[in-house]
Amino acid sequence: MANTARQKILTVVGNHGILIAFVMFMLVFALASPKFLSFENLQSVVRSSAILGVMALGVTFVVISGNLDLSVGSMMSFSTIVVLDLHDKLGPTLAIPTMYLMTLGLGGTIGFLVGYLKLNSLIVTLGMLSAIHGLTLTYSGGKNMDIDDKSGTWFSFFGQGEILGLPVPIILFIALAAFLGILLAKTPFGRKVYAVGGNATAASFSGIPRARTVFNCYLISAFCVATAGLLQASRSMGSQNTVGQGLELEVLAAVILGGASLLGGSGTILKTVIGVLILGFIQNGLLLIGWPFYIQYVITWIIIILAVWLDISVKRGKFWATV
Amino acid sequence: MNSDFIKRSISASAIWLFIVFELIFFTIAGKYLSLSSGGFMDASNMLLLLKQSAPIGIIAVGMTLIMVNGNIDLSVGAVFAIAGIILLDSLSWGIFSGLGDWVIVASCLVALAAGTLLGALNGLIVWRTGVDAFIVTLGSMLGYRGLVFMFNGENPTSNLNWTLVDIAEARFLGIHTATWVFGLTVLVVWLITRYTVHGRNAYAIGDNRNAAVNAGIRVGPHMLINFALIGFLAALSAVVFYAESGSVNPNDGMLYELWVITAVVLGGTKLAGGSGSIIGTLGGVIAIQLLRTGLGYIGADTSTVNLVIGLILIVVLFIDRQLNVKGAQELKV
Amino acid sequence: MNTKKLLTTAIAATVLMGPALAVAEDMRIGITQNNVGVDSYQTTYESAFIAAAEANDNVRAVVLDAGGDVARQIAQVDSLIQQGVDAIIIWPTNGEAVIPAVRRAHNAGIPVVVTNSNIAEQGFDFIRSFSGPDNVTQGSRSAEIMCDKFKDMGIENEAKVVQISGQPGYTTAIERAAGFEDRLPEVCPNVELVETQPGDWNRERSQQVMEAFLTKYDDIDGVYSGDDNMGVGALNAARSAGREGIVFVGATNFSVGYDAMAEGEYWGSIYQSPVDDAEAALQTAIDILEGKEVPFLNYFDTPKITQDNMDEFTRPVF
Repeated sequence: MANTARQKILTVVGNHGILIAFVMFMLVFALASPKFLSFENLQSVVRSSAILGVMALGVTFVVISGNLDLSVGSMMSFSTIVVLDLHDKLGPTLAIPTMYLMTLGLGGTIGFLVGYLKLNSLIVTLGMLSAIHGLTLTYSGGKNMDIDDKSGTWFSFFGQGEILGLPVPIILFIALAAFLGILLAKTPFGRKVYAVGGNATAASFSGIPRARTVFNCYLISAFCVATAGLLQASRSMGSQNTVGQGLELEVLAAVILGGASLLGGSGTILKTVIGVLILGFIQNGLLLIGWPFYIQYVITWIIIILAVWLDISVKRGKFWATV
Repeated sequence: MNSDFIKRSISASAIWLFIVFELIFFTIAGKYLSLSSGGFMDASNMLLLLKQSAPIGIIAVGMTLIMVNGNIDLSVGAVFAIAGIILLDSLSWGIFSGLGDWVIVASCLVALAAGTLLGALNGLIVWRTGVDAFIVTLGSMLGYRGLVFMFNGENPTSNLNWTLVDIAEARFLGIHTATWVFGLTVLVVWLITRYTVHGRNAYAIGDNRNAAVNAGIRVGPHMLINFALIGFLAALSAVVFYAESGSVNPNDGMLYELWVITAVVLGGTKLAGGSGSIIGTLGGVIAIQLLRTGLGYIGADTSTVNLVIGLILIVVLFIDRQLNVKGAQELKV
Repeated sequence: MNTKKLLTTAIAATVLMGPALAVAEDMRIGITQNNVGVDSYQTTYESAFIAAAEANDNVRAVVLDAGGDVARQIAQVDSLIQQGVDAIIIWPTNGEAVIPAVRRAHNAGIPVVVTNSNIAEQGFDFIRSFSGPDNVTQGSRSAEIMCDKFKDMGIENEAKVVQISGQPGYTTAIERAAGFEDRLPEVCPNVELVETQPGDWNRERSQQVMEAFLTKYDDIDGVYSGDDNMGVGALNAARSAGREGIVFVGATNFSVGYDAMAEGEYWGSIYQSPVDDAEAALQTAIDILEGKEVPFLNYFDTPKITQDNMDEFTRPVF
């Protein structure tokens, strides 16, 4: 009897653990700093999380399909540098689609290697992390890229503009999350992504094209990275070659926090968004209460492990692993 | 039978063939592009190369065992930095003040113990919670890095002890101290994988975890031992490296996990677990260091180095896949 | 079997031909840089160094880049010693960790010149000269620029300042911060430095730090950043938050900083040319090899630049 009650509590906590943690963090920071819950601050956190968030949306697809993408950080540097460079050469109208095509080309390459050639995604994207960084440095010649005429272009709209008082990055993040959320949850393609990640061999036998589905997931990831690069470039109107360095791990941390299993087959867009926001609020909250930035590393460590552990505990019905 | 044997030999020695190719390439290319007065394959140049590959190599040996086990450890770079800080900081701890130069031994032991504990903590979490090692060590990679910063804020931790530097710079039989430590590590861990129950079980667990459990192998403790071992080796790598440099930046060791994994994979170890060899990893480590030194020798810039290393990793993975797929098909027939 | 034989022959051939390499009789100078490609300053430095070396017929340069990694830099110094270069120029990734490697070069009879960012004092016995900017002075000059501006505005008794420092652990970042923090209370004793956070030489990171500062403090009168790249990130944050009247002072004047000064949004910086930096380092090494006397601390001048005197300077190329 007591056992089933405990089971129930565990299930509730497990299914909504990440939400509970989220609310708890908000409470602690709100008590510690009166500014934390101010509208300006909340908006500022969401806006600065938007870039990380957009990338995490795409990586969610890749992770659910049972793969990893460690190359998104260097790919984002690439997109940012390329669009800034092309802006002055082609004008914004041509620069943006060209940059999207080039980034999709990189994503397609990874998708081909992992999907069709069935190479291990960790190693392929690790290799691409290094290779794309080299490519970016070669492209820019190692120089910072800046838009020459910063006030005479509408390019700043994506990163700095507002619609009805809401910053455009936030609107883009929400719109993309809604679109990809529906794509993942409500369409045949979404079901294929789950099926491929859940059990790739079974998926192949049941006629689901594993290779094409994985390929498409990497294309989606590249599309999101290109959007993040666009936001980044437009926000600062100039950038350096290392702008995305290390983001791959933060993105992955956000996706895992949101509860996507690295074995594939589970995770949702909404949970990833919550994972992104948790990281954003921890970072911001610590800055506001004046703690050094590195405390956030330790906190992230603890909550990642607790969150995943809780999730697993619920699935197997007990806290400790047996063997 | 015969052709299968040849294929397996090629597969196993692929990394050494690649090393031979690199040696030839850089020697010839160096004639046209290098400003060095010595040849690339100069004996002392090769000895230096071995010494330079030691810090990554020592960790890679531990990573091989972890990956054979079917796990991964992303936190080694942070453990490396923590062990380095403890080594240098403990040189001036009050409790060791009466030891004279023997403080060096005490400090090394403290640093190694700290690394072992941090590794064991990872292993314990993986074992007891059942959370995937990738996630556990992704978390502790961040968490341990936070600990590094907590020691001394954003400032470097420095303690230049010339006795320690002299030991590190010493050359016994013409070979650097770091190379000796690397060589011994390779030998000892190779013996462990070949001749101990623990070593054989590591392969069995990585090959088929359920079968291993059914055979009565206690998976958890084996993983714990391997994580403690890689923690120890990351600390050993730090001792070897910081003995010679005497200062730890809080960012030191970042991305080491990626270089280590690259070396291990180049050496033929499979991420899925169950196969891989220490000797192959030795080849992988040397191949990467050769590539770095060689590209520097012929005057390539950073962007080229990054591009080439990234692409080679993918190409090696592809070739490896082709060889193995063919091998598997022939076995069926 | 055949291939193996072929390989062996090839190796043997190459080994035999090895020593027959042409030996250069000129000055061979090796340089190991900190992290090319991380920002335009270092990239411009590298191309200026190569250009200066190529312009001199007697010099052949071996140009290496440590990619910000201490271990790689130490390995590069060892390789340069091994290659037997005539002089080594080093841009330290860590001012203390490279000292033993520098000692090895010194013991091998190779003169070492430190460029851009100095090594710690324990290593001074093993180097011949330091060539570069005086980062402590740069920090104190930035403090003076800011204080003078506050006096003009009449807020020198109440102003509050935040600092965005460079990459933690890097000598340049530490020295500039120290220079600024020591000098500011001397010239403007009532100005308060309320908080310092690292911006990692990164514009985006600096922008995020500044956003949090703006939320946290209603009253910010001045921002000091360890370089203009970060300063412009902070300026972007203030601009999008609609906060005006903040005095931005940086260091290492980048073209973005120069432009922002021209637009009147950024107050001042320190003018430091990577071309001067690179040429001074190379010249110091050449002078040493030619047996000339060189000062131990060979600083090149890095003047103050503000909106008032910016016409005297050309726009930085990086």
